[in-house]
Amino acid sequence: MSVDAKPTATLPQYVGARVLRVEDPEFLMGRAKYLDDITLPDMLHAAFVRSPVPHAEIVNVDIEAAQALDGVVAIYTAADIEANTTGPFVTALPRDEIMPVTRPLLASDRVRFVGEPIAVIVATSRYIAEDAAALVEIDFKDLGVVTNAEHGLTEDAVQLHDDVPGNNIAHIEFDSGDVDRVFDEAPHVFSKRFHIGRVTAAPLEGRGVIANYNPGADHLTIWSSTQMPHFARTLLAGTLGMAEKKMRVIAPAVGGGFGVKSCLFPEEAVIPVASRLLSRPVKWAEDRQEALSSSAHAKEIIMDLDIAVDDEGTFLAFRGNYVGDAGAYAIFPWTSLVDPLLAADVVAGIYDVRHVSYKVDSVLTNKCPAGPYRATGQTGGYLLRDSLIDDIARAMDIDPVELRLKNCIGNEPYVTATGFRYDGGSYAESIRKVCDMIGYDKLREEQAELRKEGRYLGIGVAPYVEPTAWGSKSAQKHGFPAEFYDSASVTVEPDGSVNVTVGTQSHGQGHVTSLAQVAADQLGVRLEDVKVLDSDSDTAVYGAGTFMSRTAVVSGGSIMRAAADVRERILALAGQELEVNPSDLEISNSTITVKGSPGKSMTVAEVSAVAYFGGERRGEVETLTSTRYYDPPETYSNGVIAAVVEVDVETGHVKMRHFAAVEDCGTMLNPMIIEGQVAGALAQGVGIALLENAVYDEQGQFNTASLMDYLYPSSNEVPTMDLAHLVTPSDVSEGGIKGMGEGGLVGSPVAVVNAVADALSPFGVTINSTPLRPADVLAKIEAAQAGNGGR
Amino acid sequence: MKPAPFKYVVPDTVDEVLALQAEHEDEAKVLAGGQSLVALMNFRMAQPSVLIDLNGLTSLSGIENGGPVIEIKALTRQLEVERSATMTALPIVAEALRHVAHVAIRARGTFGGNIAHADPASELPALMLALEAEMVATGPDGERVIPAADFFKGYFTTSLEPTEILTSVRIPTKQPGAWAFMELARRHGDFALAGVATLLDVEDGRCRSARIALFGVADTPVRATEAEAFLVGKDPVGEVLEEAARITAEALNPSSDIHAPGAYRKKLSSVLVKRAVTAALNRGDMG
Ligand SMILES: Cc1cc2nc3c(=O)[nH]c(=O)nc-3n(C[C@H](O)[C@H](O)[C@H](O)COP(=O)(O)OP(=O)(O)OC[C@H]3O[C@@H](n4cnc5c(N)ncnc54)[C@H](O)[C@@H]3O)c2cc1C
Repeated sequence: MSVDAKPTATLPQYVGARVLRVEDPEFLMGRAKYLDDITLPDMLHAAFVRSPVPHAEIVNVDIEAAQALDGVVAIYTAADIEANTTGPFVTALPRDEIMPVTRPLLASDRVRFVGEPIAVIVATSRYIAEDAAALVEIDFKDLGVVTNAEHGLTEDAVQLHDDVPGNNIAHIEFDSGDVDRVFDEAPHVFSKRFHIGRVTAAPLEGRGVIANYNPGADHLTIWSSTQMPHFARTLLAGTLGMAEKKMRVIAPAVGGGFGVKSCLFPEEAVIPVASRLLSRPVKWAEDRQEALSSSAHAKEIIMDLDIAVDDEGTFLAFRGNYVGDAGAYAIFPWTSLVDPLLAADVVAGIYDVRHVSYKVDSVLTNKCPAGPYRATGQTGGYLLRDSLIDDIARAMDIDPVELRLKNCIGNEPYVTATGFRYDGGSYAESIRKVCDMIGYDKLREEQAELRKEGRYLGIGVAPYVEPTAWGSKSAQKHGFPAEFYDSASVTVEPDGSVNVTVGTQSHGQGHVTSLAQVAADQLGVRLEDVKVLDSDSDTAVYGAGTFMSRTAVVSGGSIMRAAADVRERILALAGQELEVNPSDLEISNSTITVKGSPGKSMTVAEVSAVAYFGGERRGEVETLTSTRYYDPPETYSNGVIAAVVEVDVETGHVKMRHFAAVEDCGTMLNPMIIEGQVAGALAQGVGIALLENAVYDEQGQFNTASLMDYLYPSSNEVPTMDLAHLVTPSDVSEGGIKGMGEGGLVGSPVAVVNAVADALSPFGVTINSTPLRPADVLAKIEAAQAGNGGR
Repeated sequence: MKPAPFKYVVPDTVDEVLALQAEHEDEAKVLAGGQSLVALMNFRMAQPSVLIDLNGLTSLSGIENGGPVIEIKALTRQLEVERSATMTALPIVAEALRHVAHVAIRARGTFGGNIAHADPASELPALMLALEAEMVATGPDGERVIPAADFFKGYFTTSLEPTEILTSVRIPTKQPGAWAFMELARRHGDFALAGVATLLDVEDGRCRSARIALFGVADTPVRATEAEAFLVGKDPVGEVLEEAARITAEALNPSSDIHAPGAYRKKLSSVLVKRAVTAALNRGDMG
C-alpha cells in the first residue's frame, strides 16, 4: 500500500459535475470505428471450425475438400499453431489449492465443449471461409459428458482433464470465528440452496481480432475488441514468443465488454499466428452464435447457505458451500474461481457477523468456460444470501428491511470476518433512502389493498457492498494473489493543451470524460484543454485494463499523482517568469494568477511555450510531463437496489414495475456517468433474474446459440428507475474515489427475485433458482398450493 | 453466420417466378421480407441454390376492399396492414400485428411471408383460422383458393406446392362482433408461449357462434372446436367459461422447449381463453 498519497485538488470544479460525455458525438454520428469497420489492404478473413459435440476424442480431421475450395488461402489445425507458439494457455494462481488448467489454442486430440475451436480457415472472404468450414470433416469418438457441477464431483463422473483429477480445479475452505459452535447453540438455523443460472454477458459487439504482421519490420499490429490492450500484449508476447516492443495492440471502439473481453481467448493468439505465417492481415469478427456458445459464460454456481439467528433476528453466523460450474477450461488468465470464490467471500456484505465459514469448489464441465461478468461471483452470492434473509424475515415475521437494518454495520470503516477492510460507507442510510424513494410504507399498504383484488405486488430491497479498485491489494484480499500495475502520463503540449494517457481502456464507461475531469481539476486547466487516450499500447502508458470497477480509482489516482507533478512544474516556471514564489501562485481555468495581485497572470499556454521553446528561460525546471503509477489499497463502495414487481399468479408472468437505486461510491467523478452505469446494470439484472439462461441439454448440446433463445432484456422489459447518490469518500484512496461499475448487478437480480417471492408470500413460495420463467413461477405457486412450500 | 452460396434472381413478373420455380423446384426459395428466411440462410438451416426475390413484383403489394372480402396481397408489409385505414373494418388484425416482432421487423416482413412461413407460434396463421380467411395460391395452372383450415399442414409446412406462391389472402369482412386477441411471450415481440384469437357472436347473453384459435400449442395453429361447440347457446361467463377453457386445454398436447414445458403451455391456453372471451364480451363488437 502506498503512503505517499498527495492531497486532492483543492477545490474540484469538474469532479462531481454532470459533464456531458465528450466521446459521444463520434458515436452518435456513426464515426466511431469498431473492429469490423476496419479494413486493411490485402486483408484475409478467418472462420473457425468448431466442435459440434461436447466431449470427444478427435479421431481424424479431414481438411482436403475445404482446402480445395476456391478462395481458401490456408487452413491451420492444432499442429500448425503449436509449432508457431510457445505453448497452450495455462491458467494458474500461486495458491496450493488451485490446479493449473491447460487450454490448447486449437483442440488437437480432444474437444471438451460445443463450440471449441478445432481449426481456422483463412480465405479471401468470410463467406468462403464459412463455406470451407462446412466442408471440414471430423471423426469424433464420444467420451460422455458432465453437464452439472455437482455431478462432476462424483466418483464415477467422466473426467475432463487428465491433470485435474476429480474435475475439481480448486477446493478452498475458509473458517473464521467459532462457526460450528455458534450454529450448535443458535436458537434458529435457516438454510437454503440456490442455483443461479448460467448466463453470458453478450455485449452488443462480439469479440474480434485483426492481426497484421509486417515481415519487413518483424512487427505485429493487433486490433482486438478487448478491455485490456496492454495486458493482452504482455500475455500474447509470451504465447507468440515475440518481444513486446515488436507488438502493438490497439482496442478500437469496443461495443461493450462486461468482463468477457477482460479475458484472453485462443482466437486472439491464433489470428496473429495466421497473419505471421501468411505475412498478410487477417480478420476474425465473431458472429452471434460464436459469442453465445464459445466466448465466456458466467455466474452458474450451485450454492448452500446456513444462517444462525437469535430470537431477536440477529444474525450470528454464516456457513456456505459454493460449487462453481467452470465449464471446460479455467478462463485465462483469471481462473474459474472468479465466480464461486467471490460469491463465497462477499458473504458478509453489510451484515455484522463475526463467525463465517465457507467451502468453494470449481468444477470442470462440458460447457463453454465461465469467466468474469460484471459483479462476477457476487451476483450469485447475493442471490443466495439475500433471498435467504427474506425467507428468514417471513419465517420470523419481521419486515425484511427492518431485519437488514438490525444487522447492518455502522458507517465507519469496518473489518469483516473475512478480513476485508471497508473504507466507510452509508450502509444503513442508503437503505433508508431507497425506502423513501419508493415510498416503502405506502407500497406495503398498496400491496395489501391489491391482494384483496387478487393482484400480487412485491418489493425486494437489496443492499450491497461492492469490492472495487481491483489492484494488487484487492485481488490478494479476495484470494487472487496477483500483482497489478497501472499508470498514467500527463503531458502539457506546446500550446498548453494536455494529453493524458492511461492503460485502462474505455469501452462505454466514459473515461475519456471522467478521467479528463480529474486531470483538469488537478492541473487547474479547462476540461476542453484535456484529451484522454487509453486504448493503444504504443501511445498510452501501461495498465492492466478496465474491469472489476477499477479505473476510476487506479487511473484516477495515477492521473492525480502525475498531474500534481506537472502542476508543480508549471508553477515553478510561472514563478520564474512572474518573479514570484510558486507557493503564491494559483491555477484555474488554464490561467496562473498571483494570490492577492489580480493583475499579474500568465496562461498555461504561455508557460508551456517557455517550457518547450524558452531556451535558457526554462532554468532548472523539468519537462511538463510525468508518468506515475498507483496501486490502491482495497476500497469498497456501497448501495441499495429496490425492485417492485407484479406477478400474474395465473400465468406466472412477472411484470417489472419499478427500480430505485442508491449508489455511494465516495467522491463522484461524474454523477451522470455513474447513473448510466447503474441503469445498465439494473437492466442486466432483469435479464439474470427473469430471462437469460445459457442452456445445455443432458447430452451437453448447447440450446441457446441465437438471440431467439438467449433472451436479453429489451427496453420493454426494463422498468422506470429512480437513481440517487450518497457520498462517503474513501479514507484510503487518492481523492476518496471508490469504483462503482458493478454494484447494480450485485444487487439487482436478488432485488427482483425477492420482490417476486414477496409478491407470492401469501402462497409461501421459496425461490431458489434463476431465471424465473413464467413456467417456473407458476410451478412454484402450484407446488406451494399443493403444500410443500414451493420447494 | 454467412449463407451458403446461392444464385440470386429478381423477376419482374409472377410468370417469371413460376417459371423459375418450375425449373428449380425444391432447390429454389422465394424471398419476401426476408425476416425469417435470411436468418435461416445465415444459420445455413436453409440452403436454397436459387433465391427468387419477390420484391420486384409491385403487383403483389396492396390492400383491396372488395365488399364482402378484404384482399391483402402477399407482399404487403405487415406494418402497412397494421396502419391501413381499410383494415379498421377488422381491428383484430392490427391488434394481432402489434404482437408480431417489433416495428422495424414489421416494416420489412410481409403479411403473406408470415403466413407462408407457417410458424405454429406465429400470430397471423391463427388469426387466419379464426377469421376463416382464404389463401390464394398461384401456380402453373393459375389460381387456387385454399381455406385457412386446409392451409397449415405442420411445422413450417403449408399446402402450397413447390411450384406455387401465395399471392394474396382474402378475409371476409362479416365477422362475429365480439373479439379479442391475447398472448403471453417471455419478452415483448417474441414468439408467444401461447396465444389466442377469439371471435364471438353473442345475442341476449347467449353465444350464437364462437371461434377460438390458438397458436404456440401444436405443430399448426388450431381451432378449439370442442370448446367452440360447447359455448354455442350458452352465456360464456363463470363456470361455463371455466369449462370451455378446460375443454380447450384438454384437447391440446403442446411440446416443450427451453422457454416452457408443454404442460405449462396447456395451462396457459386455458387462462388465455378465459381472459380473451371475457375481454371480447366486455368489448362488445368489432369496433
Ligand atoms: C426478431 C424477430 C422477431 C420475430 N417475432 C415474430 C413474432 O412474434 N411473430 C411472428 O409471427 N413473426 C415474428 N417474426 C417473423 C416475421 O414476422 C417474418 O416477417 C415472417 O415470419 C416472414 O415474413 P417475410 O416476409 O419476412 O418472409 P421471408 O423471411 O422472406 O420468407 C419466409 C418463408 O416464407 C416463404 N415465402 C415468403 N413469401 C412467400 C410467398 N408469397 N409465397 C410462398 N412462399 C413465401 C419464403 O420462401 C420463406 O420460406 C420475427 C422475426 C424476427 C427477425
